[in-house]
Amino acid sequence: MPIIEIIFYLFSTVLVLSALSVITVGNAIHAVLFLILSFFSAACIWILLQAEFLAITLVLVYVGAVMVLFLFVVMMLDINVTSAKEGFARYLPAGVLVSLAMAVQLFLVIWTRGMETVPMPAAEGEDYSHTSAIGELLYSEYLYAFEIAAVLLLVAIIAAISLTHRRRPETKYQDPSRQVRVKREERLRIIKMKSEGEEG
Amino acid sequence: MIEQLTTLLWTMTKITMIVLPVTIGVAYFTYFERKVLGYMHSRRGPNRIGPLGLLQPFADVFKMLFKEVIVPTNANKFLFLLAPLLSLAPALAAWAVVPFDDWLVLADIDAGLLMILALTSLGVYGILLGGWASNSKYALLGGLRAAAQTVSYEIAMGFALVGVIVLSGTLNLTAIVEAQAGNIFTWYWLPLLPLFVIYFVSGVAETNRAPFDVAEGESEIVAGFHVEYSGAGFAVFFLAEYANMILVSAIAALLFMGGWLSPFAGIPVVGETILGEGGVHWFLLKTVVFCFLFLWFRATFPRYRYDQIMRLGWKVFIPITIVWIMVAGVFRVMGWFGG
Amino acid sequence: MQAVTRYLRSLMLLELFQGLAVTWRFGTAPKITLNYPEEKTPTSPRYRGLHALRRYPNGEERCIACKLCEAVCPALAITIESHNRDDNTRRTTRYDIDLFKCIYCGFCEESCPVDSIVLTDIGEYHMEDKSEKVVDKQQLLAIGDRFEESIAANRAQDARYR
Repeated sequence: MPIIEIIFYLFSTVLVLSALSVITVGNAIHAVLFLILSFFSAACIWILLQAEFLAITLVLVYVGAVMVLFLFVVMMLDINVTSAKEGFARYLPAGVLVSLAMAVQLFLVIWTRGMETVPMPAAEGEDYSHTSAIGELLYSEYLYAFEIAAVLLLVAIIAAISLTHRRRPETKYQDPSRQVRVKREERLRIIKMKSEGEEG
Repeated sequence: MIEQLTTLLWTMTKITMIVLPVTIGVAYFTYFERKVLGYMHSRRGPNRIGPLGLLQPFADVFKMLFKEVIVPTNANKFLFLLAPLLSLAPALAAWAVVPFDDWLVLADIDAGLLMILALTSLGVYGILLGGWASNSKYALLGGLRAAAQTVSYEIAMGFALVGVIVLSGTLNLTAIVEAQAGNIFTWYWLPLLPLFVIYFVSGVAETNRAPFDVAEGESEIVAGFHVEYSGAGFAVFFLAEYANMILVSAIAALLFMGGWLSPFAGIPVVGETILGEGGVHWFLLKTVVFCFLFLWFRATFPRYRYDQIMRLGWKVFIPITIVWIMVAGVFRVMGWFGG
Repeated sequence: MQAVTRYLRSLMLLELFQGLAVTWRFGTAPKITLNYPEEKTPTSPRYRGLHALRRYPNGEERCIACKLCEAVCPALAITIESHNRDDNTRRTTRYDIDLFKCIYCGFCEESCPVDSIVLTDIGEYHMEDKSEKVVDKQQLLAIGDRFEESIAANRAQDARYR
């Protein structure tokens, strides 16, 4: 077996196992960590496919930023495990339905396409740059889709900010730029006056 | 098979050739820090062990290694022991794509700059998990602070690097340095001066160094994320912090100060002598200067308050970087500065 | 307009550069710290360090067991027992100083009519066991014999102010 296949099966095993662990482990922090591990393994598989730009971006965006915030939030939550397990029987039918639907979909995809093996992408020359290839595609062929996605993200940012941002008059806070701008003349008044003993 | 094995061995040798000097550099960086801080405090700094105290770092290392590793009660032992390694590994791995000279680089990959950004953003997991696994409120607070700070400044840092990418038109670090060739004024510090300043200050914030060291904040949360660590675990956290500082300095030297290019190149008389030739020594010299800046900042500036750090990152740095990326775009279109 | 100039000024980071200049100035200034064991600050002849009992030049111990030092000692660190010697002079049989009790005030030296008990300028001494905190007569005399030269020199230097 060529070494590249060993590496592939290694990472895909880790990926599947860690993805399974995300939904089975009890501790929420551990679940987040397993999610990070699965992202990593996915990135490694992408690197095997010579898509190093996408792989690094996956690590940079999801592992480096999004999951840090996830972990940040989960660490501050006080999750009650027993109450989370309470509604299990009630939600079971809906859950089974959804998972059945997904299983059927997956099955259909595999059924129609068959278990064909996709060949490794052909190795490109030394100065072939996947990064610029992706860039050229994004900014020519898929420009509209790309711009629409960007606008959607912008709308989402503005919506998120406007939904959560509110003036709270009861909180006290300092405005550093106003603090820095304070001048001596505004705070201090020097008065000439006689000392107490002088008047007699 | 034999061929693969020799490639593997040769790569391992090269990795050792990079990791070992970096580790020794870290050791002497701690010595350098104590000396510089001492001098700026009108003290002498360490001067007892060896001539001029030069063996002090080794004494410290042995002291750390012989100390007992204490795991707090109810701490998550696995994560507690893993966290220091998680913070050290990315700091060392990022050196793989750093070019020391135009031929001297371990992995001359296409998206080198992205690789470095991705790896430096991973270092925060060690801090975050170390803080959480310690089962201590101070450590948890330190970890949370570090995470919030790193995520905020990563954006400013990334945007500052976008300016470099716009001017050079590549993500490959070697190509970025070569795009700066010419003389000292074609290096990117001049056209991208605001981005250069923002990059370095964000780098200071990313590595949780003074004046942005609220993650340690010894006056309010004792030592932050590493309050429960002793012995080897503490030493590894220390190693990671300093390796990250050296890395940030090296990247600043590469992206804005022309890497291994000589500052005398392009000057009529001096530039034609040996001084005008680029080489590893110029790169190392520039890195050391940036490392010194870290220490100088620490000796000079008082710690920022937490809300001031957030304000600086989000309300000052990010708007400035966005504006200057536009300016860099104009430079690029007009064909000024390389391009 | 004022707001704009203020904004631009803050972007130039002038105050930060001022701060950096201060630390640079101190960093490059010559250091006045002494490398202690090799270099030492000069000590005054009045320095009050380790105790010693002196002798006359002919070898006779000075102390006449008047017990003035024992009486004046505010910390009760001195313990003296005396007897009459064969030549019918009074001498101490025991002269103990508890170094942990002693506050190095120098009253014993000032009260001594024969300049016997003195505080030398030795500031560096240690003990490895708690029992060594009490120095007895023999040890005190030995210290006096060993450092008589510097003790006498310091006394001579300070004599005209006494």
